[in-house]
Amino acid sequence: MLNNLILRFRRIFVNVGALPFLLTLLIIFFATQNPRFLSETNILNISQQGIYLVLISLGQMMVLVSGGFDLSVGANVALTSIGSATIMATVFQASPDQATLAILAGFGAAVVIGIGCGMANGFGVSYLKVNPFIVTLATASVFQGLTLLISQGQEVSGLPKLFVHQIGSGFVLGIPISVALSAPVIVILYLVMAWSRYGRYVYAIGSNPNAALVAGVRIPMNLFATYVICGLVTAYSSFLLTARVSAGEPLLGAEFPLQSITAAIIGGCSLRGGQGGVGGAVVGAIFVTVLANGMDLMRLGSNHQMIILGFVLVLAVLIDRERAKLGFVSMSAKVRELSAARGRRQANTGAQTSEVQ
Amino acid sequence: MSTNPNIAQRHKNIISLRDVSKAFGSVVALNDVSLDIRRGEVHILLGENGAGKSTLVNIILGAITPDAGTLEINGQQIARQSPANARQQGINAVMQDLSLAPSLRVYENLFLGRELTRSGLLRRSEMQRQAIRDLEQLGVPIDVDMPVAGLGRAEQQIVEIVRALGGKPGALLLDEPTATLNKEEAGRLFALIDRVKDQGWGVLYITHKLEEVRRLGDRVTVLRDGEIVATHPINDVSNDQLIQEMVGRSVTRLYPEIRHSPKDEVFRADRLSTVDGRVRDVSFSVRRGEIVGIAGLVGSGKSELVRACFGLVELATGVLRIGGTVVERPTPRQMLALGLIYLPQDRRGEALALDRSIAENISLEALDQPQFKILGGLVRDSAVRATAEKLADHLDIRPRNIEQTVSALSGGNQQKVVLGRAFTRERCVYVFHEPTAGIDIGARQEFYRVIKRICEGGTGVILVSSDLPEIVNLSHRVYVMHRGQIQAELSEDEISDELIASHSFGHVRNVDSEDREGHRFGETPLEQSSAS
Repeated sequence: MLNNLILRFRRIFVNVGALPFLLTLLIIFFATQNPRFLSETNILNISQQGIYLVLISLGQMMVLVSGGFDLSVGANVALTSIGSATIMATVFQASPDQATLAILAGFGAAVVIGIGCGMANGFGVSYLKVNPFIVTLATASVFQGLTLLISQGQEVSGLPKLFVHQIGSGFVLGIPISVALSAPVIVILYLVMAWSRYGRYVYAIGSNPNAALVAGVRIPMNLFATYVICGLVTAYSSFLLTARVSAGEPLLGAEFPLQSITAAIIGGCSLRGGQGGVGGAVVGAIFVTVLANGMDLMRLGSNHQMIILGFVLVLAVLIDRERAKLGFVSMSAKVRELSAARGRRQANTGAQTSEVQ
Repeated sequence: MSTNPNIAQRHKNIISLRDVSKAFGSVVALNDVSLDIRRGEVHILLGENGAGKSTLVNIILGAITPDAGTLEINGQQIARQSPANARQQGINAVMQDLSLAPSLRVYENLFLGRELTRSGLLRRSEMQRQAIRDLEQLGVPIDVDMPVAGLGRAEQQIVEIVRALGGKPGALLLDEPTATLNKEEAGRLFALIDRVKDQGWGVLYITHKLEEVRRLGDRVTVLRDGEIVATHPINDVSNDQLIQEMVGRSVTRLYPEIRHSPKDEVFRADRLSTVDGRVRDVSFSVRRGEIVGIAGLVGSGKSELVRACFGLVELATGVLRIGGTVVERPTPRQMLALGLIYLPQDRRGEALALDRSIAENISLEALDQPQFKILGGLVRDSAVRATAEKLADHLDIRPRNIEQTVSALSGGNQQKVVLGRAFTRERCVYVFHEPTAGIDIGARQEFYRVIKRICEGGTGVILVSSDLPEIVNLSHRVYVMHRGQIQAELSEDEISDELIASHSFGHVRNVDSEDREGHRFGETPLEQSSAS
């Protein structure tokens, strides 16, 4: 009876991964530590806090799958925040009765900045062929510098109330508007990664660039597109986040590079590329958010939280490695059975024909 | 004979190279090479390692641009070739380097670059269905849903070939495809090539195995040192002539006579079983001055057996005895210290630091010996270089520059570097694991002479090989493995191709009549060719 249970558990573990289990354990743990953890308010809190990391982790996941890194996501967030807020505030000041116009202008700016940041990264990786780690490290510095230059270190306030109250803290049908605005993005990215040709190419490039080349995949173009998408999604997230903090902030997003990479890796991305997915990244981001939220409720200081996050990251990678090993063994056992069965069948038919001769 | 209508009414030559030359720095890889591949023919490209075969194929594929000369596909000159273009032109290649994406599944790899979509979304189930169908044609039970990294090397090779055949029909370029296949799988591959040829494909088949030349080829071209020596219709040329053209000298005898004067037992394995179950209750022994061959099909456990002896595969039970010392849980470090050295099958992956120099690679294991140390922690570079140079001379490593990066050497010379490393210490047992895979005739001859020296010098040698003639001609005793166990132990006069083959399949052949299972041996595809 116990044996059966263990076998069932193993099969689920291999297919689905360690993360859902860990997340469940984590939730149970925090619930016991503080009854407020599972309250409606707190759950809403978690979803509102975490949605920004979810989006950025998706972009990061795509870049990781392609075999690269994007260390510039944090600086992207800052630059987008300042850039779009500045445009929005300027337009709003010029025509105070046209809040929607100002918001749209700000959104347009966010899109342009996001694509621009992505193109800078994509250019360095695809065409200059510099290591992504180095490229995005460099662009992070450039973006942050631009941010401080434009903002002079000051926040940009004067944003329309419509923006701050609705997109920042508003609800629609009981769901935070920020979450509602993010859902379509998540769905689209899922379709792209799992169901589109381009998505397949990104996995191939990360898994073995040589294989992709031989298969005729245009690597520079696909890589470029990946970094642009990451930049765009990050900027989109920043736009929503700026609404939440109700001003353009030049130092926004500093924690995102580490957190998004952690979330993506916990969610199944391999540092070598070729592995990972939307589902995993989303759950990974939720995990990181729940962890932070739970630790806040337990009144753990941020220093303690950083240490714990580090341990959690290593633990998740180790567990996932074990799962990968198990997966191969159980699958190869099945194939060996199949080939043995086939071999026996062939031997029998072979015996028949030579007897006929 | 059916002909694929798509490629029926086209130019006679699918691929035509005219006066192609390519140099890498000061090294000339190809010089004025002209070659064509016609529809409905198998054109064999024969040559030693370093002759330029891979460069040639890469130029056809567009992975390398030639310095001079033209490339014509279907009669049209191509100015700038690229792999994407090549696929469009119907040129499909299977190279020696893995070109599968390890984390993608089998069916995803099969359709890479030519996915089936419906309004932008992938048609996964349809691709899976077709993949299963295509693989069944080859008679291979591979799980299409399995990530490629979980397959064995032979299975990966098969997936690559199936993938190539799924592309636009035209030309098929195969670079040593049977390197990791056993006889059965190779036979199926040859049948497939026959079929593909009938359909009007043109096939360029690179090999150094003469039996394959006979079995498959319509025409054969010999390449040596970057130049075409000759192109012959297959029936107009003898094997001896081919060898002479490949090597540039007459090779009278590939396998040397090795004296057999075995002394005391130097290594013994008792009742070994591995944790993964691929080796079950195996015992064998080796004496000083003798060569023990271990034969068997892919999957018989012979690879896992020797790797377990070296500590690379986990043992569940069993004991090793080497020179008097008993070892239960071997580790590479321990076994090396006891005098056993294992030269891996995967030379590039497990035996060499490819980005480092010949000197560094050769000295890697010996650095803790007193003559290489200064003050205990620092390396005496002069001693390292002297040793490396002496060994490079002794083994005739080319080019002779010991600061040369190992990745740039040919397969045969890389093998010599691995040997050089082995020679930096006294050993009592050498374990060779597929030592001549991917190595041309000239280098093989030299290698066999090295084995002769080692053996006659009183060391024990274990030779694991899928190359039947190699095992038969070199071993003094042979253990044949089948499904993880030792099927038979053959000595001196008993050693023959047939007996080893039949034991490899798990049957015992009666000398007078057909064996009980109804199989008749001696009629595998490779041996059929000598009859035709």
